[in-house]
Amino acid sequence: MSDFEMELEVNGRKVRRRIEPGQRLLDFLRDDLNLTGTKEGCGAGECGTCSVFVDGKLVKSCLMPAAKAQGTKVETVEGLAKPGELTPVQRAFHKTGASQCGYCIPGMVMAATSALRENPDAGIDEIKERLGGNICRCTGYTKIFEAVELAREVIAGRLNPATLEADPAGESFIGNNVRRLDAPSKVSGRLRYAGDMVMPDMLHMQVLRSPHAHAKIRSIDTSAAEALDGVACVITCDDVPGEDGFGVFVHDQPVMARGKVRHVGEAVAAVAAEDIATARKALKLIRVDYEELPGLFDPEDAMQPGAPVIHDYAPDNIVKHIPVRKGDVEKGFAEADIIVEQTYETQQVEHAYLEPEAGIAYVDADDVVTVISPSQNITHHRHMLAHIIDRPINKVRFIMSPVGGGFGGKEDMIYQGMLALAAMKTHRPVKLVFTREESIIASAKRHPSRVTYRMGLKKNGRITAASFRMISDGGAYGMSTEGVMRKAAILSCGPYDIPNVQIDTYGVYTNNTPSGAFRTFGGMQAQFATESHLDICAEKLGLDPFEIRRINMMRDGAVTHTQQKLGSVSLARVLEAAEKASRWEAGPVGQRGPVRGDLGGEGTRQPCTLGSRIKSADGHNKEKVA
Amino acid sequence: MMARRMRGRGVAASWYGIARTATIDRAGAWAELDDGGTAKVVTGVTEIGEGILTLLAQVAAEELGVRPEDVTLGDNDTARSPEAAHAGATRQTYMIGNSVALACRDARAKLFAEIADHWDVAEDTLRAFNGELWAEGSNLKMTMEEAVAVCKRRGVVPVGSGSFTAHGTGLDPVDGSGSPWQAYVFGTQVAEVEVDTITGEVQVLGIWAAHDVGRAINPRGVEGQIEGGVVQGLGQALMEDYQLDKGHTTTHGFAKYILPTSLDIPEITSVIVEDRDPLSPLGAKGIGEPALVPTAPAIMNAIHDAIGVRITSLPATPEKVLAALKAKQQSEQQRQAAE
Ligand code: FES
Ligand code: FES
Repeated sequence: MSDFEMELEVNGRKVRRRIEPGQRLLDFLRDDLNLTGTKEGCGAGECGTCSVFVDGKLVKSCLMPAAKAQGTKVETVEGLAKPGELTPVQRAFHKTGASQCGYCIPGMVMAATSALRENPDAGIDEIKERLGGNICRCTGYTKIFEAVELAREVIAGRLNPATLEADPAGESFIGNNVRRLDAPSKVSGRLRYAGDMVMPDMLHMQVLRSPHAHAKIRSIDTSAAEALDGVACVITCDDVPGEDGFGVFVHDQPVMARGKVRHVGEAVAAVAAEDIATARKALKLIRVDYEELPGLFDPEDAMQPGAPVIHDYAPDNIVKHIPVRKGDVEKGFAEADIIVEQTYETQQVEHAYLEPEAGIAYVDADDVVTVISPSQNITHHRHMLAHIIDRPINKVRFIMSPVGGGFGGKEDMIYQGMLALAAMKTHRPVKLVFTREESIIASAKRHPSRVTYRMGLKKNGRITAASFRMISDGGAYGMSTEGVMRKAAILSCGPYDIPNVQIDTYGVYTNNTPSGAFRTFGGMQAQFATESHLDICAEKLGLDPFEIRRINMMRDGAVTHTQQKLGSVSLARVLEAAEKASRWEAGPVGQRGPVRGDLGGEGTRQPCTLGSRIKSADGHNKEKVA
Repeated sequence: MMARRMRGRGVAASWYGIARTATIDRAGAWAELDDGGTAKVVTGVTEIGEGILTLLAQVAAEELGVRPEDVTLGDNDTARSPEAAHAGATRQTYMIGNSVALACRDARAKLFAEIADHWDVAEDTLRAFNGELWAEGSNLKMTMEEAVAVCKRRGVVPVGSGSFTAHGTGLDPVDGSGSPWQAYVFGTQVAEVEVDTITGEVQVLGIWAAHDVGRAINPRGVEGQIEGGVVQGLGQALMEDYQLDKGHTTTHGFAKYILPTSLDIPEITSVIVEDRDPLSPLGAKGIGEPALVPTAPAIMNAIHDAIGVRITSLPATPEKVLAALKAKQQSEQQRQAAE
């Protein structure tokens, strides 16, 4: 297939363009027409961020060849309302606070618009079904549902459009539900994330990644790639002028692999070229000579004496061990009436922010190396990059672009260094956007954990001692592991007043995808164990789960596991609030479900049953549309 | 015999520390009361979705006497703004919110000094809110636009800066003792689930989430954080699982890595509890991370309540639930046979 001239209507205007073979409708809209409200969250039809209307039908533009849009009418998020205006759906999203990071929001607005166009009277179950192809990682969907129902009522004339306006100021702006100031830019698709930005004369970067979990690099030959037409530069670790290492705690990770690779997907070299296709072609011309090394894939194997060493500085493969001791656990266990032991495991979890990593770097007229990216810590990144490129700190500048979801996953400087090096080598702006697959293999995850728990209690439910040992797979690089182990240790045994504790958390190097910061920073893994364990203990003692927590809870002035004396402690208040709100029926832990009287009331939804929820106008069920 | 669909409830409590751990955390901000009664606030962060920009505009508006929409926020840029450090650790409201409050108070004090002199009243009688400034106990009143103009005519640009500190201490390397945070929050969630004992599928029908946030600057924003945290917790509890085979992922896209979507979402009832922080000007603490902590254990405890099996390894996939049910039935049969 060769280039062909396409004619179509986009947002009410005739467009005639030459398109390239194989171009997706998504690329045509974003790259050729600069309509960047349509986002690429996955490129595989799985997330819905790229949703547009083609001849009135909602489609995922990442799956549609541009050529197929010939002669059609395409409507994107930018075309829903006149410039400067918002549709009732968009205004409802603004009103309810339905946008957070905003990256899913243009697609959500399209899906919601489609739902109400298809059925202006769609009920909540149908709305949920019709939004089923769109992922949102931030909002928990609840405010989105509320927005669609609100818009439905306004469009139908059952609610006054004034409902969509701001609440009155009242006596204070604190405690007021001020509508999000950034929402109009998000619901209209106008906000530009790093991947939506372009600069004149910009180069495109692609990254060569390790196919091996653990291997020595004997040599890298970039000559053929460099010779390719359209390639501006190829960079490897040899291009790093300063001290090569970054990490949130230990700086154990080179900008690109240095001497060896430690996990699949690690960056080995990068190409900056005139376009992405050329950069991809060049990657194939880079020759890397690897010598595979035995890999470690389980932290407990990595802790064995004589295990292969992943980082020379840590011959025992331990990133960090955090001990916490209070009182005398042996004495505490001796005093206990029962001792309960159990192990717990949590899995590795992907952040799955809908915005994949992206950035642009350039060197400005004053020789300031500048990186624009959705970094969660520009202060620290600036520090580290200054050392890596050996420049004074005021010659390094980080600009934090709107972050399309982070959850801790954008605290690691895993690509900004490469962008800076390429910009320095070419003196041209360089842009990199990860694919979803690349984001998944190269970015940090939530630490998987194994906890061995031992708790001693009196018959009356009072905890006398706890021992908590957690082993976490830190993966190939340190990233946030040290801090995660620290927070996990501090919070481990929960908000309970336990006189004797022995806590150990270990973060361990392996050749798995690195683990790093992820919302709760180890707190979730640790407290999953504690809160499960308390229920097991309550069952053995015939106690209600609220009761065992109240018996042991920290109160005002409590001393924590790390021996900090607290001031006010609100645990009693939140326990009571949850108990009341849920109309909790007290009773001992056990299989009480079938006899409970508090099930299914206010605050619950109907369970989903297989089959369709979409009712057509004549009241008949329709097949679920994929 | 168990019925096909079994329901149950579980609870889990939690705690969390606000801002960076076991270290001194700090953040800075600049503020200026600007022409037209508007305001400029400069900090080193931007939105990662939590609503920080709106919250900062509310804080600045409250402290300066203008409206949130009059506030222009800049500039998430290491070369143009004071240090704010990272957007994480549930520190934005606490660290940046308080530094903005302090910067605005500094700027307001400069304005008030000029206006008090201009009106010949005591500074502490001046109040400003929602675009207006007045002197209590008098009928003196003007708009913030006029106030800024008066101030500037007198030769003063009302600018201010603020730096806020949270005093954490490091942990002792041997016994871990130390005071990692100056502010703590607590939370409790109740989950109601339905388990299909034939397919092993677990549906979460309701979550009641009670969280202490110190002080809710924007209650709707707090709810949004709780709802988002709960659903991430639900994902980890029931479906999300990044899998590796000798270091190679087998879950490289959203077809394999399963995330919660609209049909998985329980009704979520948020209960905001406010136990104000005594050590900071705003009294607010935070909610971003803590909202996620109790969800998974509350769901596991609810599954146990429903069907009597305890899932100790996440996620509680249908296969795991069925295997646990089978093991339970077998051990019951063995027990019966032995009796
Ligand atoms: S569905 Fe098209 S980008 Fe995800
Ligand atoms: S707001 Fe939906 S993904 Fe962030």
